[in-house]
Formats: sequence, structure tokens, C-alpha cells
Amino acid sequence: MNYIKDILLGIWHLMQGMYISLLNLLRKKVTEQYPENRGKVFPYERMRGSLAMPHNEQNRHRCTACGICEMNCPNGTIEVISKKEPDEVTGKEKRVLDRYLYDVGSCTFCSLCTVSCPQDAIEWSNDFEHAVFTRGKLLYQLNREGSSLAKKEKTEKAETV
Amino acid sequence: MITLEKIQSLLPFANAVENKGDIFTTAIPADNFLEAATILKDGGFDYLRDIVGIDNGESLGVVLSISSTEHPEAIVMLKTLTVDRENPRLASVKDLWLSAALYEREVHDFFGIRFEGNPDMRRLFLRQDWKGFPLRKDYDDNLEINPIPTENEDLDALENLPEIDVNSEKSFEKQHSIFEKEEYVVNFGPQHPATHGVLHLRVSLEGEVIKKIDPNFGYIHRGIEKISEVYTYPQILHLTDRLDYLSGTINRHAVCLAVERGLELEVPERAHYIRTIIDELTRIASHLLGWGCMCMDMGAITAFVYGMRDREKIMDIFEETCGGRLMANYSTIGGVMMDLHPNFQRKVREFIPYMRKMLKEHHLLFTGNPIARGRMNGVGKLSREDAVSLGATGPVGRASGWSNDTRKKEPYAVYAKADFSEILREGGMTFDRYIIRLDEIEESLKIVEQLIDNIPEGSYSAKTKAIIKLPEGEYFQRVENARGEFCVFIDSRGDKYPYRIHFRSPSMTLVNVLKHITPGTKIADLIMLGGSLDYVIPCIDR
Amino acid sequence: MFHFKQLTEWLDAFLRQYLNEGWTLFVEFLLVGAVILTVYAVLALLLIWTERKICAFFQCRLGPTRVGPFGLLQSVADVIKILLKEIIRLNHVDQRLFRIAGFLVIIASLCTFGAIPFDKGLHAIDFNIGVFYLLAVSSLGVVGILLAGWSSNSKYTMIGAMRSGAQLISYELSCGLSLMTIVILSGTMQLSQIVEMQSTGWFIFKGGIPAIIAFVVYLIAGHAETNRGPFDLPEAESELTAGYHTEYSGIQFGFFYLAEYLNMFIIAAIAATMFLGGWMPLHVTGWDGLNQVMDYIPPVVWFFGKTFFCIFIALWVRWSFPRLRIDQLLKLEWKILMPISFVNIILMAVWVLLFN
Repeated sequence: MNYIKDILLGIWHLMQGMYISLLNLLRKKVTEQYPENRGKVFPYERMRGSLAMPHNEQNRHRCTACGICEMNCPNGTIEVISKKEPDEVTGKEKRVLDRYLYDVGSCTFCSLCTVSCPQDAIEWSNDFEHAVFTRGKLLYQLNREGSSLAKKEKTEKAETV
Repeated sequence: MITLEKIQSLLPFANAVENKGDIFTTAIPADNFLEAATILKDGGFDYLRDIVGIDNGESLGVVLSISSTEHPEAIVMLKTLTVDRENPRLASVKDLWLSAALYEREVHDFFGIRFEGNPDMRRLFLRQDWKGFPLRKDYDDNLEINPIPTENEDLDALENLPEIDVNSEKSFEKQHSIFEKEEYVVNFGPQHPATHGVLHLRVSLEGEVIKKIDPNFGYIHRGIEKISEVYTYPQILHLTDRLDYLSGTINRHAVCLAVERGLELEVPERAHYIRTIIDELTRIASHLLGWGCMCMDMGAITAFVYGMRDREKIMDIFEETCGGRLMANYSTIGGVMMDLHPNFQRKVREFIPYMRKMLKEHHLLFTGNPIARGRMNGVGKLSREDAVSLGATGPVGRASGWSNDTRKKEPYAVYAKADFSEILREGGMTFDRYIIRLDEIEESLKIVEQLIDNIPEGSYSAKTKAIIKLPEGEYFQRVENARGEFCVFIDSRGDKYPYRIHFRSPSMTLVNVLKHITPGTKIADLIMLGGSLDYVIPCIDR
Repeated sequence: MFHFKQLTEWLDAFLRQYLNEGWTLFVEFLLVGAVILTVYAVLALLLIWTERKICAFFQCRLGPTRVGPFGLLQSVADVIKILLKEIIRLNHVDQRLFRIAGFLVIIASLCTFGAIPFDKGLHAIDFNIGVFYLLAVSSLGVVGILLAGWSSNSKYTMIGAMRSGAQLISYELSCGLSLMTIVILSGTMQLSQIVEMQSTGWFIFKGGIPAIIAFVVYLIAGHAETNRGPFDLPEAESELTAGYHTEYSGIQFGFFYLAEYLNMFIIAAIAATMFLGGWMPLHVTGWDGLNQVMDYIPPVVWFFGKTFFCIFIALWVRWSFPRLRIDQLLKLEWKILMPISFVNIILMAVWVLLFN
């Protein structure tokens, strides 16, 4: 008798499992159709896609080329190249940013650079499409051509942060 | 209770016993080392947590971290050292704890300390033909000494166990081998769909039945402990996510707690709450994946996809608040990186009933299935004694009846304020290890449910100095990650870099468990048992 | 009611007008061969697409969507890919057996495929021991699988082949026994007659409880014969990577792949023929209106509808359950299915004595 009971019980449990999979057959599918829904589904604003340096309308950024981000970076992802330039007002030699190089190929997205930046000059952007054909192309220059340091204005900082 | 006096009376020849909270540290001369370990083992200290090797410059030492299952809150750090750097020898404790043999191999691999009496002194992580011992401070990383290998590792080199004759003065090396010549040895891995990463198992078969297995690690060893010696503490944090990537936030929590303890930093209550909730969500995600992988190992691919689907909800919550999915990168020294996202609480509240409903479905789909039950029942018995001796913490140990939940035994963060129970099962069978994960998801949901509405207002992070220098001393912190007890051991010499940092990998002991419970089972069981132990290889290959 | 019989008979008569007996047969054989091979290939593509789509839907996914509408051309793209792939020449394999194995598997399934009655007059071979022939030819495939595993000279394939040998030979028994039950009911082994006899009611209804039991047993055993679903031990991707065909590449692997899907179809088709009335429409005695409506649906549609119903069940089972262990597998056959089949045969004999 136990033999038949076991078989029937087994069949009952198997059918429960089949019921669950049938239920899921009829449910809405969860697949993200990526290239099609591109632009329609927005990634979360905190998502760490790649490092970016925001510029304002006058093509000015806030980076003073202090190099703290470069020092904090565990993987040597960031390279800050500075140059000496005379200051507009005082005329003294001053260190300004020449090129801000970011190699997304070695970035581990640990956020130590953005957190440690005293000027909030760099931040994370949502751009996650990093695929390129050669590794060299993963090296980006974050400051735009001809950009310069923004004037120290407290209000501007408060606006953008 | 374990007191300073008790340890002192147990170990009369110890130089000095110090205690910091419940951690008792004592240094033993190398000659008395085995004796001391035996006394402790007989005195009820039946759980060897880890063996940490340290290069002190002029001497090489090991630290044994031992606990008793009766008083799990107390930890004895048994230290010993040898000044012979050329040919360092220490006594092996492999006969006292089953887990010791593997730990000793790791220490030998990185520090070159040979444990007398342990026959298996092969390299554990590095190739057998590696020259030098990387974690020694005077290690030469010149590429000419160890060039980048262009050929496969010779498997025969894995086969031989060099043994040293203790009695004779000169160390002539006898050769032993793991498998007999005529055995049918099959390589499972490193590239095998069911080894959960790049684990290499050499399996000796008798038809379908397994006779013996020999795990081989190190295919993705990244030398995190070595790298960490030149990293500042905040930089180390980002590597901890990459140890056991399925409980990354919990590992990170452990390092944060250890450093905070060293700095005596007051962490805001809000940060503690946030960390606890994130940890528990990580645990749920990890158990879901563990459940799914185990089902997939048994051939039910659909269950795996369902597990992944539910895990995706947690990953979305993480992405919104932390900015990362698998590498959440959230805890920092002093608190958390950013405040919670405004949507966080709402989403978690929505997730809890969803997960409960799905858990019911998972049970219907798989738990009752007669095929699955037939495969899991009566296979892979791990007794409580073996679990303790092997150091199989976490769900695996609890399935064997060993109460070892660090969240209960030594509550950190706000676990003391949450009302939850430690799931314990008696059987120690594969089915117990399977069901305990689903039950723990339920408990984790309970914790999250209690905490999510009570997150206090306030700052989410304490202010720290720009450069964090840990005061001189040893710091030890254990947490309960999804696989068991994850421990951080930091030896600081007052620098901004740790002198030595060591992570206890719960997964490594789990592979050791696999080695102990598989003989006599079938190939299909081997894969399923691997799934039931749910180890993560990057955690082993630190 | 349109039957393919009209077409085939017209063709036969047409050929006989111009050619003598031998040449007529020759041309007909050629035509039949070409048609069968084409249908075989097209069905395989369709099945692969169906499986991928249904499996995806069970798993809350969408499945192939890229190539063609709803990914319909996905399997065509796969075929092109598999044809272009390099056939890797392995060093230590038994070259001759290694190459033959794939052909043996596919020949076995092709031979079985030819005996299936798709419609009245639409089957390649129809002789009085049809059921016997089906069973005999379909079990040839195991030789190919064993050879593949043995000749590959790899430990994984060897284990896979040994498992498959044990599995296929065991399940052959209950497969045959459950078909025998229907033979008892029908009194003939000729497939066309079996279908004709179901014009008044399918055997699963006519045969009562024993026929239903036989149907379930046949579905399980037949499913096991195809090496799929919870019975995919010879392949067992999580244990043996790909089992007996681990070492195959390119179109050589394609043969195994094709045969696997077609075997699934064949098993479903036999189930449909033997239990669900083949191409016979659903007739209920007394309900003439309904019967007439049913007759308007072409028999080929009926046949494929029933077959795909059986295939859907197979897929449903496959994507719901975990794999059995080898001892469970043998226990299921020898301790559960076999005794049930034997008892069932006696039951059927009693049933036939009582009601027919």
C-alpha cells in the first residue's frame, strides 16, 4: 500500500512543480530588451557608469589639479597632468589642469576619487557603454579642450551639487 | 565563561596572556607549541578558526585562532614563531583539527614554513614550480625568478607529496603520491560548468562512485593580501567586495568594523542600521543564488532562473542606493558612502511580501519534488563533530546542528536589536543544507522588516581623517557572511598601510568539507554536494 | 475531407502512365527520400526554435528575438553557423568509429521517422509489423551513442556513454510494454490500421484506465529514451559537460543535436498515433454536428497538433524537474514503470475481454 501511496504522493508533488512553471509561463517576462529600450529605461542616477568632469556653459570645470584623486586611486586609473600658467588677476605662476586622463579599462569604480575630491570637480555619470575595439580607446580625457578653472563662487557649487 | 586566569592556568609555559575584550592573545615558544595546542583542544577549544602566517622581519610566525563551541564569544590567539628563516619548521596541528592541514598548506605556500608531521606540503595556491614565498617581506618579485608561465602546470607535480623525515637530521625527501597508478582519475575543472568558478577537483572514480577527491586551488588567485600591504585602509575596502563577491557588502562591513575598532571611531546609529539592512539583503541575494545554483547543479535550470529573477530585485535596490550592483561599494570607514536613496525604504517594503510569496513558490517547485528529495535525502552526511573540526561555519555548520551564527554569538552592528532566530537543523544531510538557506532567507526578511521602519535620523557617516593610520596592534573582527564566519585579521604597525592583513575564507573550509563527505557518493552527488556547500572560489583564491 | 492519399495516389497513377513498374518505384523512392529528408530537417529547425522559445517562456525570458520576426530564423542562422564551423580533428580518437557514430544516431532516427503515418497515405513505410519495426529501429541509436562515447577516448564521454547504455536499454522495456498494451487493444501492429481503428474514438478513451496508464508510462519511458529532460544523464551538462558528445564539433555535433530533437518529435508522434488517434479528428459518437466540424480540420493539422501537444508536455517536464541520479533512474524503471506496465498489460487483456 505504501508503494502506491508513495507513487501517488510523488506525482502530486511533481504536478505542483509543473503548476509553478506553468504559472511562470503565463507571467510577464522579465527580460530587458537592451538596445531596443535604450533611452527609454533610465539607469539609476547613482549608478557608477564612468567618471566625468562636469563643465558649465563657459566651458569651465572645477578641477584645481591638486592630484588627491590620483593619489587615492588604487589602480592608477587617473592621471592628472598639470601645467604652470600665470594667474589672470595676480600674474603669479599657478598650477592649472592641462589634461585629466581617465583609463576606464583599469577602473574598479570604488568611488575613492569622487569622495575625496575637495572641489567636487569629478562625479559619476551614467554612461555605461564602454565597449570599444582596442584597449587604448578606453583612455579618456575628461577635461574638454580649452576649458579652464571656474572662478571660485560658492553659489555655483551649491547649485550643481 | 572563559577568563584570563583559566587560560593562564591551562598554559603555564605561555610567555604572557593578554586580553582585549574576549580575545586572549598568548605567545608560546615553538617547542611547546604542539603541547599548548593539544591542551587547548582537550580543554574544549574544538574549533580552529584559522592559521595566519606573519613575517616579523627577523622571524616567521603563525597565529592560531581557536574558539570553543561552548563559549564562542571567546577567541584564543595562539602565537608562535621560529627564527630560522632558511629552513623554518613548526609542529603540525593537523591531528587535532581536521581543518588544520589545509591552513598549514596555505601558510607554507606563502611563508615557506614547513609543518612537521603534515605530509601534504604541496603549494596550495601557487604553481608547484614557483620560487620564493610571496608574503614574506623580503620576497623578490623579479620577473626573471618567476617568469610568466607559458605552459600548463604539470599535473604530475601535483601528484607528489614531498615528505620530510623528522627523525633524521638531514631532510631527505620521500615521494608519496595522492592517487594510485591504476586509479581512474577524472579532472573536474578548472573549466567545468559546475565547479562554481575555477576550482580544480581531481576525482578518483570506481564506475560512478567516487573514491577520493583532491581539490586544487589558485587559478584566480589575485594576491589580495599582498596587494593590501601597500594599500591604505580605504583602498583595501574596494578589494573586499571582490573576495566573496556574493556577500561583498558583508566582507566590507567586517574590514570597516575592524578599522573602526582600531581608531575607536564612533559610528552613527543610522549607519549601523543601514549596514545591517544592506547586509541582510546581500544575504538574501546570496542564498537565492545559492539555492538556484544548487538546483541547477541537480539539473533544474528553471529554478536557477527564478532565483536570479528574485535576486535581480535586490540588485536593483542596491543599484539605486549604492550605485553598484554586485560590487555595492557602500560601507566606508566611519559609516556608509552616501545616504539612503529616498526610494530605498519603499522598495524594500515592497520586496518583503514579494519575496515571501516567491519563497512559497520555490518550495512548491523544488522542495517537495520527489526527484530532488530522493537525491538529497541520505547523501553527504556531515556530523556535528566533523563540522566543528573542519571549521564548516555558516549554513553548512548550522545544518549539522552546530550553533555558530556570529550575529547571535557576538552581535555587531544592530543585530542585537533585531528579533530573529538562528536556524538549526540536526540531520547534517544535503537536504538540511538545502532547506536551511530558504529558512534563512525568511529570517533575514524578518530582520529587514523590523529595521526598515526604524532607521534613525542623523548623519550617515562619521568624519574621519584624510589619512587613516591605525594604531599599533592586532585587530580582529568576525562577521557572518552568507557562507559562514568571515574574519579579518589586521596586524598594524602604526602605519597607514597594514603590516599584514588576513581574511578568513569560509569557502576554503567548505571545499575541505567536500573532500570529506564525497567518498562513496556518485558523480552526480559530487556536483550536488558542491552546490549544497555553496562555496565561492574567489573567496578561497584571495 | 482532404487526405494526402489522393495526392500520392494521383502521383502514382501519373507516373505509371509514362514509366514501367521499376522506374515508377525508383522515382517514387527518390521523391519519398527527398521529402522525408526535407521534412526531417525543417521539423528539426522548427523544434529547436520551439524548444528555445517555450523554455524561455517557462523561465520568464523571451528567448530568441533577434533573427527574423520572433526569432523565427534563429535556428536557420544556427544551422549556417554549425555548417561553417571547423570540424576539429582530434588526435587520440578512433577516427573511423568517431565519424560513424553521428551517422548511426541520425540513421536510426530517420528510419523511425519514415514509419510515422502523417496522414492517410502519407507515410514512407507501412507494413504489418509497424510497431515492432518502430521499436527495433529506434533502439539502434544507442549503438551510435555508445560508439561516440567510446571512440572519443575521453573520460567524460565514456561515463556518458555507459550511462546512456544502461538507461536506453532499460527504458526500451517499458516503452515496448506500453505500446504492447495498445496492440492488445487494437489487435494489429500495422500503424495505418491502428489509426483507422481510432475513427470511432481514440484509444486513450476507448481503452479506459489501462490505456491512460499506458499513455503516461509511454510518455515517461519515451522521454527517457530521448535523453532529455530529467533523464538527460548521458549528457548531464552540470556533471559531464556534454556527456557522450563532448568531443564533437561542427556538423558532427550537429548530427547528435538534430537527432535529439527529432527523437523528441518521433516519440511524441508515436504517442499521438498510438494513443491519440494519429491524424484522426476527434469524434464523439452521437454528436454528429461536432464530428462534422472536426472533419473540416485537415488530418495533417490534427496529427501535428497532437504531436506538439505531446512535445509541449515533454518540454514542460524537462524545464520543471531536476535530473535523476543513475540509481534513481534505474529504480524508476525496474521498480515502478516495469511492474506497472506488466500489471497494465493484464488489465488491458481483461478490459478487452470484458468490453470488446
